[in-house]
Amino acid sequence: MAKKNIFKLLSFITLALLTSCIREEAPNAECDIIAVKTSWLEENKGILSGKPIITNTAVRFYVNEETSISDLKELDPQFELTPGAQISSLRTINENGERGIYMLYHTTSEDGNWCKVYTISFTKQSVIDTDAVFSFEHFAADKKYTVWYEEDANGTRLDWWATANAGFNMSGLGKTPEDFPTSIDTNGVKGNCVKLTTRSTGSFGKMMKMPIAPGNIFIGEFITANATKKPLEATRFGLTIAPSKPVSLTGYYKYEAGEVFTNKAMEEIADRRDTCAIYSVLYEVDPNNVVTLDGSNVLSSDRIVLVAQLENPGEESEWTAFEIPYKEVNGKVFDSEKLANGEYAITVVATSSKGGDVFEGAVGSTLHIDEFKINWDNK
Amino acid sequence: MKKIFIALFASIIAFTATAGNENVKEGKNWSVRLSVGYNIGGTAPMPMPVEIRSIEGFNPGLNLSFEESVQFLFGKGHWGLRFGARVETKGMTTNAQTKNYYMEVVNGDGIVAGNWTGKVETTVKNIYLTIPLLAVYQINDRWNVSAGAYASFLLNGNFTGYAYEGYLREGNPTGEKIELDKAAYDFSDDLRKFNWGLQAGAEYQICNHLAIFADIKWGLNGIFPSDYNCVTFALYPIYGTLGLTCNF
Repeated sequence: MAKKNIFKLLSFITLALLTSCIREEAPNAECDIIAVKTSWLEENKGILSGKPIITNTAVRFYVNEETSISDLKELDPQFELTPGAQISSLRTINENGERGIYMLYHTTSEDGNWCKVYTISFTKQSVIDTDAVFSFEHFAADKKYTVWYEEDANGTRLDWWATANAGFNMSGLGKTPEDFPTSIDTNGVKGNCVKLTTRSTGSFGKMMKMPIAPGNIFIGEFITANATKKPLEATRFGLTIAPSKPVSLTGYYKYEAGEVFTNKAMEEIADRRDTCAIYSVLYEVDPNNVVTLDGSNVLSSDRIVLVAQLENPGEESEWTAFEIPYKEVNGKVFDSEKLANGEYAITVVATSSKGGDVFEGAVGSTLHIDEFKINWDNK
Repeated sequence: MKKIFIALFASIIAFTATAGNENVKEGKNWSVRLSVGYNIGGTAPMPMPVEIRSIEGFNPGLNLSFEESVQFLFGKGHWGLRFGARVETKGMTTNAQTKNYYMEVVNGDGIVAGNWTGKVETTVKNIYLTIPLLAVYQINDRWNVSAGAYASFLLNGNFTGYAYEGYLREGNPTGEKIELDKAAYDFSDDLRKFNWGLQAGAEYQICNHLAIFADIKWGLNGIFPSDYNCVTFALYPIYGTLGLTCNF
């Protein structure tokens, strides 16, 4: 007993000695926009539509259709920052086509060693043009990986497409944009296309029980912070951008499955062959509190109204055209009034490994896609 | 490698044990000593980096030290020399809260790098073959003090742990914020094979052949190579030992 107490006493003394060496806290090195000030949101709720989206380098506000560009230029948004960080507006206001503006803000950390440039945008929420073809010709490679977006007829940038590239970036294995699961390929049906490749995430990914990263691209948002902790919740599928009832999804694809199919533990499953997935879902949302479908329920939620899914895509070495009809499910019927009220969100998803959400697939599986088009009911 | 060291150690014991018997017969200016001790301490950065905000848990573990040494006293004076060999474990488990701690983890061809804010649990358990060389001062029949240097060779290294309940800023503090539940690491293979330092202690003779002692051993080179980026601050083994010595 005495021996045990001595042991405890020694442990305590050592801990006390270690703790006594703790130094004064250094000033913060982070310089994030954490939130938009509630008071400012409240003052401007008349022109804002929905909640702002805050990423690591951008804040996106959506504004009402009737707001004028000159009104937008008067806005002076107020932000909550990492404690001690400073923000200054570069006050260069750029017009984003005819439907919005963006301005650049500069943040500096409390310790003065780090800074970031944020793009703050105010955009009128657009819907998909009924003639729009998704040709994947608009992309930016300002990061280590490629980011795709759409442009409307007036040249307004619409950040509709998302990928999981930001999650893969964490593995440190992406040295050039081509190393990432979702990349550009210049040999499209017309111009460029999107190349989706299932990649290994290395020993680190294996340890995290996420040994593969399938290539994916989808309409929605990718939440990088969730990428490893809650990967299924990182892929937020869908935006409220449907112009009318979708009838069919058309496009082109080609696919080659990787040789070795593996499970979450990176163990080979001999009798399985990888397959790609291309689908589109229209589902119900509450316009005042949009909660999107994510990797856990995008094909199973009872909020789904319409689904178009490519059946048995197989492996096609040449560009293959497809046309898949939207079918009503869950006993629901498409309602134009609900659409007008912003109660429907739509997503289009393509991935190089269908089981990628549960980290099943084959490294090397490659899907090419191009010229996607949603055909809408004109009535 | 390990077997060779153990065999070597065993033969030193056998040799000195025989020599010890003769020593008893012949005279008193040298002695053979067998010690067993308990090591407690930390493998810790010095000074503590600002990135470590608090130590929330500490478990010293069971770290034993077995030493065989020979001590000479010069002439009839107080001064002497002690040298020998010991097999010892230096280890501990700590839980620390870090803020903005830069780390790198090699991931195949890539590197997972960034600034970690969150908790880190680290377990160190290193087994060394150590050669101490000490000056001894015999104060009186009961007390002696010693000080000198030691050289340690890593027989078996273990440096593992995990980062949990926090987030990584990818690359630097402005990078993407990625929340992590738990990410394990194992840097055992990267430990330095050689460690050296200073040691000092005191010993009290409680009866004819038995003494109790207390030592402090202060490592002077980090347990990882100085250009090692997975653990960016140098970690020094700093341990105290309490134990018993049989001397003949």
